[in-house]
Amino acid sequence: MRKFKIFMDDAKEEQWINDMASQGWHFKSFNFPLYSFDKGEPAEYEYRTEMLEGFGYGKAANEYLDFVQSTGIEVVQKRFNWVYFRQHKSKGNFELYSDQSSKLSYINRIFTIYSTLAVLNLIAAIINGSVLLLDESLRFNSFIAGLNTGVFIALLYPLAKTVYRKQNLKREIAMYEK
Amino acid sequence: MQQPLTEGVYYILLALYEPRHGYGIMQIVEEWSDGRVKLGAGTTYGALKNLQEKKFIETLAGEGRKKEYVITSLGKQIVEAEVTRIKELYNNGRKIIKAEGDL
Repeated sequence: MRKFKIFMDDAKEEQWINDMASQGWHFKSFNFPLYSFDKGEPAEYEYRTEMLEGFGYGKAANEYLDFVQSTGIEVVQKRFNWVYFRQHKSKGNFELYSDQSSKLSYINRIFTIYSTLAVLNLIAAIINGSVLLLDESLRFNSFIAGLNTGVFIALLYPLAKTVYRKQNLKREIAMYEK
Repeated sequence: MQQPLTEGVYYILLALYEPRHGYGIMQIVEEWSDGRVKLGAGTTYGALKNLQEKKFIETLAGEGRKKEYVITSLGKQIVEAEVTRIKELYNNGRKIIKAEGDL
């Protein structure tokens, strides 16, 4: 089965894939903007997504993926630095990050990506927008400025959520040594 | 004064008093803690990297997923200091709450 879907929020995507899995639809691959699923037993697998460090290539990324797989976790799909993992439910609860401080460093990694994308889009929107002040007939620039503004606004939600998750974790860390 | 270790790092160091590979560490820690401490693969990987940088552990021969780790003498000193710290916490807690028996 294929489903058309676009996510701007990594946590929402992961949640949706797990909801599908609990109904017996096992995520197989994502080819923008289509998600493919295989029919199987309901609630057989638990999925986790992760943004790898850097661009997701090279020795460090391979070493990490190799390590994760050696613990019985499957790599379902990897596209650049974005990976879909799954583990059979018989192996119990599946978390890649089990303590607060490693969760926080992962969220910081996501925050860096979201904020970099947001800033780049804002800058591009401003540049393309200010070109219009000189010459109003530049339709292409006005289209691009609109697109950049749209992406910037769409990124504000996951960005705000990431900040919220960061603050919650910091509060937890201040109290519990985990 | 040494910083307190996280539970995960403490258990990883204990696990490495014998050479083990990554998954072996995760399994023995889960067993020792009766399933309470389930180390995530990402957490374990990050901790192993950091502990190697700090020279608390080192790798033995072996490549990729067969790679084995073992604690160094510096790592052992860290664990010993941590056990002393936990003993202090435990003894004071026990005294104040006037625990009896096994606690």
